[in-house]
Amino acid sequence: MINFLQNLIDALSLGSLYALVALGIGLLFGILRLVNFAHGDFITIGAYSLILPSASVTATMVIGSWHWEALIPMVCVIVIIVAMATDILVFRPLRRSSAPTLMIASFAVSYMIQNGVLMIYGARPKAVNLWSALTTQINFYGLREPVLQLVTIATTIVLMVGLSLFLKRSRWGIQMRAAAEDFRMAQYLGVRGNFVIGLAFAVSGILAAAVSLLFLAQTGALSNVMGVPLALFAFVAVVVGGMGSLPGAVVGGFLVGIVTTMLQAYLPPDLRVFRDAFTFTFVIIVLLVRPAGLIPSRSIVERV
Amino acid sequence: MSAMLELSDVEVRYGRLVALRGLSLEVHKGEVVCLIGPNGAGKSTAMAAIAGGVPRVAGSIRLNGQELPARKPEQIARLGLSLVPEGRHVFGTLTVEENLRVGGFLRGNARESAAALERVAGYFPRLKERWTSPAGRLSGGEQQMLSIGRALMTNPRLVMVDEPSLGLAPLIVDAVYEILLELREREGLTLLINEQSSHRILRFADRIYVIRNGTIQLHGTAEALRDGEAIKAAYFGFKGTGANANVVEGAKA
Repeated sequence: MINFLQNLIDALSLGSLYALVALGIGLLFGILRLVNFAHGDFITIGAYSLILPSASVTATMVIGSWHWEALIPMVCVIVIIVAMATDILVFRPLRRSSAPTLMIASFAVSYMIQNGVLMIYGARPKAVNLWSALTTQINFYGLREPVLQLVTIATTIVLMVGLSLFLKRSRWGIQMRAAAEDFRMAQYLGVRGNFVIGLAFAVSGILAAAVSLLFLAQTGALSNVMGVPLALFAFVAVVVGGMGSLPGAVVGGFLVGIVTTMLQAYLPPDLRVFRDAFTFTFVIIVLLVRPAGLIPSRSIVERV
Repeated sequence: MSAMLELSDVEVRYGRLVALRGLSLEVHKGEVVCLIGPNGAGKSTAMAAIAGGVPRVAGSIRLNGQELPARKPEQIARLGLSLVPEGRHVFGTLTVEENLRVGGFLRGNARESAAALERVAGYFPRLKERWTSPAGRLSGGEQQMLSIGRALMTNPRLVMVDEPSLGLAPLIVDAVYEILLELREREGLTLLINEQSSHRILRFADRIYVIRNGTIQLHGTAEALRDGEAIKAAYFGFKGTGANANVVEGAKA
């Protein structure tokens, strides 16, 4: 029982990371019909922004040694700038392009960031010790969990509630939802399209920054492709949840995280290496039963 | 008197298809002008071109003598021109209130847009009852009202309504037209309305344009076109025979 609870907390923690990444991808997909594979590389940038840019093997913390109250906003600002610059330089000129064109452009951005990081920071993964105090375990009636897992889950909940309030209550959030549903109609009503899209990129930047810090604190290693598997699994989560639906992205993220962790824990040891194959089999089954995803978006209206 | 809205020789293409070829029309302040024509005649394209939704390859569109920017719908909305599109296009997952508020954000001033919300709610008691339900759950008639109310939130001087009767029961259509005329009276609106059928329009409109194949075939006051024969001929593109033919010539003279 204790064992299962421990696995469950691990699963929720991984699931919440996927959910945060999926939200970032889902938000942009909703408004722009853009599947942004570069989102994972925004996460990479957030993580690398902590250290001194150099090709040396050991990482020298700069922003990474700041107090968290200064560190978190700074990383957010950096990732927001990268995300919005991506929009202005790459996606704005492609505004009237088709969804596949946008997706391929996002692959290009992704490779540019990965290779940019490679050029500046060198090819070898670097060990980084972020917030090591969080890895201490707390003991709760025999349940032993690192504080970090709980912090991850709590952060995710706070961000999800915050995002949901922003989308429901604020004037910008309402315009964003209107634009996500019917972009042209929103424009006819005076909603400034480019501004709303820029804002969505900024929000996805904040989500990516949060993931980069939580993920780095867990793994302790920097690599120029560290964000790629996160983006891939989150994309799968978005598809499973229902393209264009934010609650779907969250549910999909948690589901993929939980399935992955539980397979890791309960598959016979010989089969564990094939864990991801089982995960994707599960995904295929979900999509066979519900082709539009678990919580389909009520309005996948193609933009005119 | 110079026209409030003036289109001259507007041409719009979708790829190689010419949707509007040299379309010219004008709308004067306070008028109800109706554009009628069959499916695919270019009515909706004309409105989209005015609202900045589709680019024009030639011609000019002026509002109060000022050339409207092409392809800048959010700017055009700020100039006092609002579109109620065909098929209503309400934001289905947003509540009635949120739909209306989207229209009010361009005012910038929160108090002003709150006052507008109050006023619009006054015109549509039925919407007030459904205030917090998602717009996607409303009936077709309610959605049409919402779409009109939402356009009103942008503080327009000229409202373009694209096929308000589409898919609605006749009684509801009457209610929609009643509210449009009430708005014209009380808000001092100018209206440009697209319709496929003419008999109801003849009662409401001041002037009528008949459009076919992307260009104006006939125009005149509703008074002059009252018997409908000239409209029929222009609409279907044939002159008819005998007495009808004379009516066509007479109306044009």
